[in-house]
Amino acid sequence: MRTWRWRDRLVLAGAWIAGLGLCTIAAAIVLYMGYRGVQYLRPGLIFESPQVSQSQAGSGGFLDPLEGTALLALIGITIALPLALCAAVWIVEYGRPSWLARVVESSIEVVAGTPDIVIAIFGLAIFQMSLLAPFSVRASGGGVFGRSFIAAGAMMSLIALPPLFVATRNGLQSTPVHMREAAFALGKTRIATIRRVLLPGVRSDIATGVTLGVSRIIGDTAIILLLLGGTARLEPQGSVPIFNLLRGTGSTLTSYVYGNSPAGEGLAPQKAYAAAVVLLAFVLGLNLLVDFIGRRQASASGLAVGSAIV
Amino acid sequence: MLDRLRRPWPDDRAERTLGAVSLLIFVCVVAMVVFVALRAWPIFAHNGLSWLLPGGDLHGQITNMVNAPANPPPAVYHLRAWPLIYGTLLSGVIAVALGLGIALLASIFIVEFAPASLRRITIPTIRLLASVPSVIYGLIGILVLVPFIGNHVISASEKASVQTLVQLNGTGVLVSVVILTVMITPIMVALICEALSSVPVSWREGAMALGVNRLRAMLAVTVPAARPAIVAAAVLAGARALGEAVMIQMVSGSVFFSPKPTDGVVFFFEPLRTLASTIIDYNDGVGAPALRSALYAFALLLLFAALTLSVGGYLVKLPLRKYQTRG
Amino acid sequence: MNRIRRIAAAFTVVGVLGIAAPAVASATSLITISGATASYPLVSLLAAKYVKTHPHKVKFKITQGGAQIGINDVAAGRVTIGDVSRDPLPTDPPGLDFYPIARYAICVVTNKSNPLSNLTAAQLLSIFTGKTRTWSGVPGATATGTIDLISRTSVAGVLTNFQTLLLGGKKVAEPLAAEEASEGLLKQQVENDPNSIGFLSNYQADSGGVNSVGFNGVGCTIANAVSAQYAGVARFYEVTKGPVLGAARSFISWVDHSKAAQKIISSQWIPVT
Repeated sequence: MRTWRWRDRLVLAGAWIAGLGLCTIAAAIVLYMGYRGVQYLRPGLIFESPQVSQSQAGSGGFLDPLEGTALLALIGITIALPLALCAAVWIVEYGRPSWLARVVESSIEVVAGTPDIVIAIFGLAIFQMSLLAPFSVRASGGGVFGRSFIAAGAMMSLIALPPLFVATRNGLQSTPVHMREAAFALGKTRIATIRRVLLPGVRSDIATGVTLGVSRIIGDTAIILLLLGGTARLEPQGSVPIFNLLRGTGSTLTSYVYGNSPAGEGLAPQKAYAAAVVLLAFVLGLNLLVDFIGRRQASASGLAVGSAIV
Repeated sequence: MLDRLRRPWPDDRAERTLGAVSLLIFVCVVAMVVFVALRAWPIFAHNGLSWLLPGGDLHGQITNMVNAPANPPPAVYHLRAWPLIYGTLLSGVIAVALGLGIALLASIFIVEFAPASLRRITIPTIRLLASVPSVIYGLIGILVLVPFIGNHVISASEKASVQTLVQLNGTGVLVSVVILTVMITPIMVALICEALSSVPVSWREGAMALGVNRLRAMLAVTVPAARPAIVAAAVLAGARALGEAVMIQMVSGSVFFSPKPTDGVVFFFEPLRTLASTIIDYNDGVGAPALRSALYAFALLLLFAALTLSVGGYLVKLPLRKYQTRG
Repeated sequence: MNRIRRIAAAFTVVGVLGIAAPAVASATSLITISGATASYPLVSLLAAKYVKTHPHKVKFKITQGGAQIGINDVAAGRVTIGDVSRDPLPTDPPGLDFYPIARYAICVVTNKSNPLSNLTAAQLLSIFTGKTRTWSGVPGATATGTIDLISRTSVAGVLTNFQTLLLGGKKVAEPLAAEEASEGLLKQQVENDPNSIGFLSNYQADSGGVNSVGFNGVGCTIANAVSAQYAGVARFYEVTKGPVLGAARSFISWVDHSKAAQKIISSQWIPVT
């Protein structure tokens, strides 16, 4: 480096500053939210439901938002996973005619680039149609409420679809051709090869995609605000055991943070910051999980895996 | 029939089923465009395309829509939403430009110059930045950045200089662009890193064998080879920047105002509003027919922008095909 | 083939039961409420108390979204009751009945470092319409420099009431004033900006962090609002489509007449009469 020109040294310094700067910012965000929220964080909060109360002390915890977040992630991934797998497999393994394959890939790109507020508005427009009344509730006045876990979950699956699809497609594309050829040589059909050989081989890519999808789901606010109905607790609708929960309304950690912090009505900022710390902890945990999966895959297959960063 | 499902399927049926399921996604996108366009139609019917242009008092127009009766007269639909489009483009383009530069430098750092231990920390940390929810970015904006800039950076004379038009209290272009850049840079870092590390090392080594230093080798050999990925990263980050709503709503100042670059430094402190933040701000009023069409028109514009970015990215990548190193 | 038929039949039965059962089996009626975020704390407390004192009669589902969403939802039949924080407007859909349940005061607020104690109507009007732009033109203010006006988006009920009651029907200057989307954001701006001035419902203003300003010599307190001395007092309404019936009617008349409900209302809001 002593022989380098000044300009090069400047650029190198810039690269170091950029890389370390981003890490510092990440640390600063986590530390600041931690400092704001950890003082109010009690283990009890995680197990208490939100209560109505006039003081922050009596307003309970965020058990229902936690349950809501988990439920929503579950619904979103359950809908997105089959779609993403089918699409990725079809595009990589079949993909005929090629213009159709490009259409599907572009559609997924468009979904990836659509702002979540637009997806939320679209969801509201669809689920307030009479046709989809079973998925939320039809009120006594005859109108369809249109906001429920199914509505939010269906739109969330659109959010989780692109990461899942990209991860699976990259995994399938980097599977060596000889694995397919070996299966064909043994007389298996294409679909059987996919089911028995290829998909199990990209399990860790799918896991990475699922984790990334889940982290996108739990970080989204706009869809929740418009489509989940904004009740503090989980309010099931009807009496069929599981279906009533899906038709009902509730809240998630993001909407809880939003509503109680200065972004919303700001009446319980302490609880909001504590919930924000929990939310960040979840996100951190999911990221470590992606890292772990990536490292396990690299050591297991011996292949250099340059992917799985997003 | 159940064991007909359980037996291995013939390939053509599998292909058709998989293709049909994949097409569902396309149907979804088409449905989205159709629904949003249908609801946005009244604005186009009453304004043509001129609602994209400046003219008149946007706040007055929106307030008229809010207060309009159930069957609004045509005059209520009058809309000139240029300040919002300008705000969206301004914040988006600056954020993407800044972010691209930072992302490129950071990716070069991670791929080439970071020691292995530092690389193991940096990658997950940057991925964490990408998954922080926007409401937390917004909170940090209004709790930390906005008071700091409003009370310590903007001087009283600067505030006085524009006080008849707008007020400068820390929210505005600077905070919005800074936080937006922080939000989109990790996405670009991830994609560019992946592309840089998939360029064969031998290409760099060849350059270095000819006497080029490591940095120059990266910039002259590896980075151009990764150009398709850089374009893809910019497209994805651009789409994200255009559509960011919750965070911008909290830190942008929420005024229908077009910041003027000719104001000098004050330009960075002036408030703005974007299409997405307006949709969130007024999402209450989605029952007033005229306001609803306006909000859906904004959503259609955002959708159209995402589509254009996608197509544009594809077109830019076409001549770069020969550099594609991934199979 | 038989197995598929049996499974399909089982699904259909469960599905039909699931959708039909609520209609048959609900002994408790469900009251759905959506609307203003300003009245949400009050209505939640009232609903919780009602459920405690009338067990197994009613279930409540209270969501938020804003006063305008409440009006739209109830007009479209999506909810039973809409929470609204402003008076009925001629532009509201026809056929809606407004039932006032409580009142709240709208307080002008400034930053804590600017302990302005009072503003006359003329001064307030001149500040919010943008005629006075610097704090030096406001007697009693310790802040210096430009006045930062913080207001709400046009869909906010509190803004409508503020303009009608305290500004004499005039509008807040735009695009001068920042349009915050929620009371929380408005309060946050006022808390952080020493030069700011805004307006909040008394529930928010009393929770600390900002300085309440008197209007025409009368402080913005619950006592002054009850005694009708303070001018900026607005109503919370429960809105129904057509005259209210059934379980919702019992609830609203309980809110109007029962001691327990009035006690809740008087704690941080103002009773109607």
